[in-house]
Amino acid sequence: MKIFVNIVLGFFLITLQAQEKYTLSGYVKDAASGESLWAVTIITGSNQGTVTNDYGFYSITLPEGTYNVQLSLMGYKTSAQEIYIDKDTKLDFELEEDIAQLSEVTITSSGAKRTASVKSTEMSVIQLSSKTIKKLPVVLGEPDILRSIQLLPGVSSVNDASSGFNVRGGSADQNLVLLDDATIYNASHLFGFFSVFNTDAVKDLKLYKGGIPSIYGGRLSSVLDVKQKEGNIKKFGGTLGLGLIASKAMIEGPIGKGSNDEGKGSFMLAGRRSYIDLFAPLGGDDFQDTKLSFYDINLKTNYTINENNRLFLSGYFGRDVFELGSLLGTVWGNASGTLRWTSELNDKLFLQTSAIFSNYDYNLDNLRSGTEFRWNSNILNYNLKPRLTWYINDKNTIRTGLDVTYYNFQPGEIKPLEGSSVNPEKFREKFALESAAYVDFEQRISDKLSLQYGIRLSNFNRIGKDVILQYETGNPLTYNAVQDIYEENDVVGETEFGSGKSIENFYGFEPRFSARYLINDQNSLKLSYNRNYQYLHLISNTTSATPLDVWAPSGPFLKPQYSDQIALGYFRSFADGAYDFNIETYYKSLQDVTDFIDGADLLFTENIETQVAQGDGRAYGLELQVNKNKGKLTGWLSYTLARTERNVLGINNNEYYPANNDQLHELNLVGIYKLNDRWDFGANFVFGSGKPVTYPTGQYEQNGLVVADYQNRNGDRLPAYHRLDVSATLNPKKGKRGSWIFSIANLYNRQNAASIFFREISEVNDMDVATGETQATKLSYFGIVPSITYQFRF
Amino acid sequence: MKKLVLICSLIFIYSCETDVTSDITLAGSAPRLVINGGIERNTTTPLTEQRIRLTTTTGFLDDTDPLPVTNATIIVNDGNQDFEFLHTENGIYTNSGITASLNTSYTITIQWQGETYQGSDTLNEVTNFDNVYAVFEEETLFTDEGYFVKFDSTDPADIANFYYYRVFRNGEFVIVPDPGNSRTLVESDEFFDGLQRIEVNPNEEVIFELGDAAIIQQLGISEAYYEYLLELFVQTGNQGLSFVGNPPPASIRSNVFNLDTPSNRVLGYFYAADVEEESLIISE
Repeated sequence: MKIFVNIVLGFFLITLQAQEKYTLSGYVKDAASGESLWAVTIITGSNQGTVTNDYGFYSITLPEGTYNVQLSLMGYKTSAQEIYIDKDTKLDFELEEDIAQLSEVTITSSGAKRTASVKSTEMSVIQLSSKTIKKLPVVLGEPDILRSIQLLPGVSSVNDASSGFNVRGGSADQNLVLLDDATIYNASHLFGFFSVFNTDAVKDLKLYKGGIPSIYGGRLSSVLDVKQKEGNIKKFGGTLGLGLIASKAMIEGPIGKGSNDEGKGSFMLAGRRSYIDLFAPLGGDDFQDTKLSFYDINLKTNYTINENNRLFLSGYFGRDVFELGSLLGTVWGNASGTLRWTSELNDKLFLQTSAIFSNYDYNLDNLRSGTEFRWNSNILNYNLKPRLTWYINDKNTIRTGLDVTYYNFQPGEIKPLEGSSVNPEKFREKFALESAAYVDFEQRISDKLSLQYGIRLSNFNRIGKDVILQYETGNPLTYNAVQDIYEENDVVGETEFGSGKSIENFYGFEPRFSARYLINDQNSLKLSYNRNYQYLHLISNTTSATPLDVWAPSGPFLKPQYSDQIALGYFRSFADGAYDFNIETYYKSLQDVTDFIDGADLLFTENIETQVAQGDGRAYGLELQVNKNKGKLTGWLSYTLARTERNVLGINNNEYYPANNDQLHELNLVGIYKLNDRWDFGANFVFGSGKPVTYPTGQYEQNGLVVADYQNRNGDRLPAYHRLDVSATLNPKKGKRGSWIFSIANLYNRQNAASIFFREISEVNDMDVATGETQATKLSYFGIVPSITYQFRF
Repeated sequence: MKKLVLICSLIFIYSCETDVTSDITLAGSAPRLVINGGIERNTTTPLTEQRIRLTTTTGFLDDTDPLPVTNATIIVNDGNQDFEFLHTENGIYTNSGITASLNTSYTITIQWQGETYQGSDTLNEVTNFDNVYAVFEEETLFTDEGYFVKFDSTDPADIANFYYYRVFRNGEFVIVPDPGNSRTLVESDEFFDGLQRIEVNPNEEVIFELGDAAIIQQLGISEAYYEYLLELFVQTGNQGLSFVGNPPPASIRSNVFNLDTPSNRVLGYFYAADVEEESLIISE
């Protein structure tokens, strides 16, 4: 409470200090499309300035005078304008794309360049535009956001066939993935070979690895904030992309008639569909009943109600279909819708409110004779996020707001198919209300020292209608230390909770802090600390996310997980920003992270609490990055040294063990070379030391099969991972619109081990038999993969 | 089911498997005691004796047969009386005096190398087959063409039943390590309690030819043994594909415990099962 009082006091002091000053405010937009531009740095004088918000809005309060206002954003021409201010002034700016810079890989990693960090105290933050992502070499001809961010320090891939990513030792479910403010629960298509983000529909993204501001919450390790394009407000247009795996189309244009040849609003509609399944008949009769495909649709519209009010509506819908003859079928996907309203209450107060709907669901059809059934599961939420930003003066900004989410979990419902002998059954639905209130201060103490600090108070209320089981000793599981085994306790009763009645309430106090000290124009130091709570647990017994993973809410038998992270960084720029360098080190401790107990069975299990144990984790590491920002050759080199461990009672003899995503060394080298106006070449090289694997320590026979015995979890290592990808882009001649992208993934055909597993050889001369002989097998997903994509703008 | 890998290979163009047996050196561990066997009640073909086999573990990639344990003492108690199992050959211990009865808990006590191991399981009644027959099926993605033995069976209502299926071809028990086993060879009636299932294939990997002699068995097993077998079939069917489930594997825990040195664990299972059996000759 004391902190609150201090904050409120500070607030008044700030207000009192305000004197004879005037406010300059407005929007910054792209000159060609009218898209609002995010994170544009606006400098009004020596070390004085601001940054545009998510909607391109800025506001800065200055004493009367003449200012040389400079606007800069990577990929755009810097604009400068002399402005005399003697009253509150509204001024919109337009920035032109810098054609010369278009082929440069621009990555903003909260660098030391003065322009990018005059006002920013953020650290451990990476910003990437969809234009940059499209320049990087791709696997299977489809640019992919999630694969691109895996080229950055501190971000690693779950494996080749997974769009899951790990940030600073966090597991894949500890990333908050937002698409226009809506939570995406499963970001993968085709079991993870692609992500759900269509790069033609995406404007840009921001990834927070640490120093997460208090406006975000609900996940422990990172925030991936993806923004969809708003659509061209000046003229109709679109793109068409033809790839080997999928094709896509996007159209955009103005809505209504506004001022200056612009619409009152604009729209963007994009669609994408894979067509691997169309090749299935080539596989012969065998593949007749096999289906594998995905599609997705992105929509965004916005409408300017009046000078101060705008409405945005965006939506996403995606589906994957997978069917294997008479065995199984599965369909899964996300759907989300976001309605946003932004309002300038006055030139210093900006109010944004989002109302969001998000749903993830899957079907699993068991098509085996005798017991055909369909299994349904989903997680649905409604989310309301009002946020008020107060641009007090050129030194202080306050953001405050609420984040309220109502969840409905349907763990599973089973229905018989084709009149088979299966009883319809429904697992109990679960409900919860997650609420948070936050305040975030951005404060410039002096020319050199900037702070961003805040708190987030969160509450998670598991509510009825529900039935909670009572176990014999109060807990579903008891750890038997003598036998080193978890024993399931008997159910002795159950407690019923009526609709809306509180079952269990959790509170989280989440302080966030970051500071930047500018040593001089080229050097700065940054420090951050954040505590995060996560109330949802992804219960998965696979190393990568699968469509069938279960999201479980905290409750009587599952505690919320929380983490503390501290990070320290040094940033430096050279040669007038042509190069920059940064080094960050972090330590993260995790509490009550979930892991499944040995031998857990998760699918079709109603009382998930009997299958999981909670424990602690720790992660620490060092990240280095050098960026080359200018010239014909641009790109970056990054290196990460990291360790990630878990300690869970009953696993690995109760000792710390390497987490599945533990990787000691990771190196990325990314380069784009612009040969001339028509040709761009790109390459990236990835090296990662081996991830943990559990090798068997012995074998024995049981029921006619050879069975492996194991001792320590994740006690061995896979071979090192490395890969080189190259690409060439042929840009259209003047006046032409089509471009070609050729790329070769894994150029030297390295068979990287996705897993090494051990089994009994079960085939001799094409006959299925148990041979009693054993084998170690390496599974790799990609050898050399060439691909070609044609892109057409209209 | 193995062809799942093949499909994935086709779909993802260049995914591939490589035998790396010769590149791998395993740390190994001290040999552990392994139990394989139990008490079976078979009213169709009554057993003349009950058999239990004891061996020790070997290195996973070693090409050696299991090492038999010949000098252990095995006592099984049925709640009233002790029955001693005597070693015959190759680690196999037998007893012909014990009568397998329904709703009985059997406890095994093993003494070996100065340590005592103990565990128990309960014999639950199994329901009958309603019908057993052979069906010819064309080649599919997962299996070659041929005859499959299938059955109909009605699950008793309002009690939890757990099943394990065994198939014999010309007198020989057939089982193949396969990802499908975990969904085929063991079943819980959770979703079909009290219902009749028809045309169920007890083992999708066993193909018969005309004239073959087939025996199929439906075993009524305890919930604990069901969970043990489920884990066993999941692990032995692992194809390494992370997106169809590739949990970090762990030792599958036995129901028999070492009473003296708990950490010197025993592997395998001592089970009690009721057996429903049908046999037929495959004809058109």
